Amino acid sequence: MYLVEDKAKRADVRTSEQLAGEGFMLATPIASPGGKWEHFPNSHISHHGKACCDIAHEWLIAYDFAQLNGGDILSGPRWMREHSAWGPSAWPIHWCEAVDAKIVDCGVHAAIAQEAFVARGLRAFRAQFIQRYSADAAASWRESWGKGDVSDHWIDGDAIYHEGNAVVVGDDHVKLWDGSAGWWINPRGEAGYGSLAAVRIDARVDSFATGLLWGNRRIPLNLWVEI
Amino acid sequence: MKIFVSGLYAGGNPQPGVGIVRSLRQGYPDATIVGVEYSNGVSGIHFDELDDLWIQRPWGELDLESYGQRVREVLDAGGLWISGSDLEAMWLASVFPDGHANLLAPPMAGIKRITKPVVEAASGLPVRIPTYLSTEHSDWDLHAFCRAQDWRVWLKGPYYDASRTPTWDAFTAVRNALSKVWSTEKLFLQAHVSGYEESVMLSAYQGELLGAVSMRKRDVTAEGKTWAGDVSDVPPEFLEPLRRMVRDTNWTGGGELEMVRDASDQLWLIEMNPRFPAWVHGATIAGHNLPALLVQAATGVRAQPVPAQSAEFTRVVLEVPVRADYPLPPLPEPFAGAVGHSMKHPSGLTALAARLHKIDPDMLDVALAPEGSPAPNAVSALPETYVADIGAQDFGAMQTPQYIYMESTAEALFASAAERARRLSTDDVEVISGYSIKTNPDKRLIKLALDNGFYAEAISLGEVQTALEVGFRPDQVILNGPGKWWPEGLMPRETMHAVFCDSVADLDRVVAAVEAGEMSARHIGIRIRTPNITSRFGIPLDSPTTFAKLIEAVKRLPTDSKFGVHFHMASSHVGVAQWWHLFESMLRWCRSIERLSGRTIEMLDMGGGWYPDDWHADETSKIAHAAELVRAMLPAVRQIASEPGKAMAQPSMALAMRVLEIQEHEDDMIEAVVDASIAEIPMHFWQPHRMVRQCGETGALQPIGRGKTYLMGRLCMEHDIIASNVQLPEGTRAGDLLIFCDAGGYDRSMSYVFGRG
Ligand SMILES: [Zn+2]
Ligand SMILES: [Zn+2]
Repeated sequence: MYLVEDKAKRADVRTSEQLAGEGFMLATPIASPGGKWEHFPNSHISHHGKACCDIAHEWLIAYDFAQLNGGDILSGPRWMREHSAWGPSAWPIHWCEAVDAKIVDCGVHAAIAQEAFVARGLRAFRAQFIQRYSADAAASWRESWGKGDVSDHWIDGDAIYHEGNAVVVGDDHVKLWDGSAGWWINPRGEAGYGSLAAVRIDARVDSFATGLLWGNRRIPLNLWVEI
Repeated sequence: MKIFVSGLYAGGNPQPGVGIVRSLRQGYPDATIVGVEYSNGVSGIHFDELDDLWIQRPWGELDLESYGQRVREVLDAGGLWISGSDLEAMWLASVFPDGHANLLAPPMAGIKRITKPVVEAASGLPVRIPTYLSTEHSDWDLHAFCRAQDWRVWLKGPYYDASRTPTWDAFTAVRNALSKVWSTEKLFLQAHVSGYEESVMLSAYQGELLGAVSMRKRDVTAEGKTWAGDVSDVPPEFLEPLRRMVRDTNWTGGGELEMVRDASDQLWLIEMNPRFPAWVHGATIAGHNLPALLVQAATGVRAQPVPAQSAEFTRVVLEVPVRADYPLPPLPEPFAGAVGHSMKHPSGLTALAARLHKIDPDMLDVALAPEGSPAPNAVSALPETYVADIGAQDFGAMQTPQYIYMESTAEALFASAAERARRLSTDDVEVISGYSIKTNPDKRLIKLALDNGFYAEAISLGEVQTALEVGFRPDQVILNGPGKWWPEGLMPRETMHAVFCDSVADLDRVVAAVEAGEMSARHIGIRIRTPNITSRFGIPLDSPTTFAKLIEAVKRLPTDSKFGVHFHMASSHVGVAQWWHLFESMLRWCRSIERLSGRTIEMLDMGGGWYPDDWHADETSKIAHAAELVRAMLPAVRQIASEPGKAMAQPSMALAMRVLEIQEHEDDMIEAVVDASIAEIPMHFWQPHRMVRQCGETGALQPIGRGKTYLMGRLCMEHDIIASNVQLPEGTRAGDLLIFCDAGGYDRSMSYVFGRG
């Protein structure tokens, strides 16, 4: 679900192997809202620098607009989930591969949705989530990620790391989009299975100094915030 | 304490009775709760929390007067009554117009102020009402409303029942069914609002709001009914106006406001119900026992507090034992040969609706127009040129059925299109019109197109030949479509104005033919198939792979021709707003194609399938805006072709027919046989036609309104009914002349020869 092969673009970010290794060495999650994912970067889709990725990117933006079908531009791009199911994907991944793949992980969904939201003229940011599930769910996911020969470093006990988007609505309100599920996360969510344990909104901007309002909660930017 | 609770139907679209009983039982463990029903076929009567049952005969056979008297006795004796049915609440309001201290249902004045769709009582709430139109308007206007709403519309009955009607034939079928079931012609069309459904439930006693909760649907059945939800407090900005509303209407009892929250957070009020909703116990689970609050206010006896168990609730399906003294009724005998035998409303609610109409025809009237506004007219007005053109005919000598060429109408339409094109053209970008020959290949229309500066749009070489015969030059011809090489050997060698390729294979063939000197065109381009719209035409864009193929194909187009893009979608089919979204979407695809292929687009051909009124009424504003958008997004475009085929052709002909025979049946139902048929008017299922009768004596034109007459065509085909629900003017008899207008488009070009001898 994450990553970063494009060192040229983001020299400050470490490789997936390093990060995964770091995670696995921890006996228990770090006692901070971000847990073992405290310094995890958002997933980043790479560009071949050639026409293949240009075409894929242009297609994505035009297709998203077509799918709006006259609806409100604040509608979540649910078509992405129809276009590519959620599952293990191998990183690094390029635009031409990401847009064509039948199965992708939440990092791809979130990166694609981000392009679409921004192209619609919305203010949107990448968001990282930590969600609570169960030991059984985790075991099942480990199994399928193992079969796909893809790292399962996003699972930790009954918590998982997940990616999505934060879309600004109104002045400083935000909605959290989970593209892999195809829904907006419920800000009134309770604790328990599938609930949001922590969130980090990645917004390298000067505005929103006081953070963004999600439901009744004010979320400071670029920090893991416990929910 | 004795509490009567009705509305115990507990099927897939349940009534609230069982939920009310469960909530009351928690608040008042010792109360005697009596279930009231009008059929022993209603499953909720077997719910074991009911202490007693009071089962009446179904509404259709119940003696309402004596039943009303017995309800009064029950109330006078101290019994409380909570109604779980809209229609029962309305009937109770008619029996107790000013209420009764023990009747926990709204008074008549309150009910009258919540009739759909306006819900006058809710005017202070932070909600909007989706746009609507009474079906008392003419079919012509109703069709226009549907187009304007992109066919995302609901046809609704006055009490409940609503159906999506995505096409004209679906609309007419549902209109017939709803009118019959609910014994009223007063239905309304309402725009669909896309969003999340939520409700506010309230409980009030004699104008005082006792409590209210908000619920968001978190799971719904196939019918859109609540299956699970979360419950929360009503925010103050909603609660305060709600409190005022309850005071203004002197509300007593439960109530529900059903709403949709759209993507921009606006609430739309869909309807208000004069009773608790079926999810009432879901709120009790969340700690808001609204039925108990109601009983507490009416009796002064404190309800037992029940702590909240969860802010969310869901439903399960349970089997329960059937009570021995009310065994299940036998199933009705299935109709011979028919499928199924279930009866939708075991208690006969539809029969109650019919009876309520008789008690007080106004009681259930849907408030569809603000007071003082003109009454809707079911007869569509006839444009002046129609009247003139019909008046110019010599019907005496006319063999019917006969298409009438509406000369002055056609001339006016073409002239105004030409004038519009001139007005929209600038020094940089020329706007032209193309007449699509397939819409109606009548040479009079093609000639008018030529005389008014149109180009000829052809989809076959046969059509190209027709255009050339009428006088078009090859460089005034635009060739399109998947079958443009048919019939073989007729491709002009002279330079045409534009050729658009319908597929990659077609494009390769065009490229080869141009290279071989077998054809030539100033513009050579592609027709694109925008995603998300079902179409068999054009080069698809539905995956990055097909898009990459299209880009490669565009790079192969001859460089000595200019590059063009053709886009076509019937606006009458997808709706006007959606057409405009598609248009903007198409421009974005074009921009991407330019960037990726390195070819700039110099001609844009936007086909329309415009409904005449939409195209002509749109006037310049939208088309001008479109031209502006094109200029901004595709600065190399020098020519925009618009193709108002149907908009020109459809009004330009009418169909005259004669009545052969009139048969009167019972209940005002009339069947008239005419000498025309669906062979001459094959579009009758898909669009309304404005109709007139010519009076045999005076020759005057009389509009045909809506009624109970069916016009049967002359063919031996079961579906040859060319109009239903019409009202022939008084005195119409065999031999009289009827004229169906708006028949000059596909009615004319798709007419066929069956039954012509
Ligand atoms: Zn690539
Ligand atoms: Zn994930």
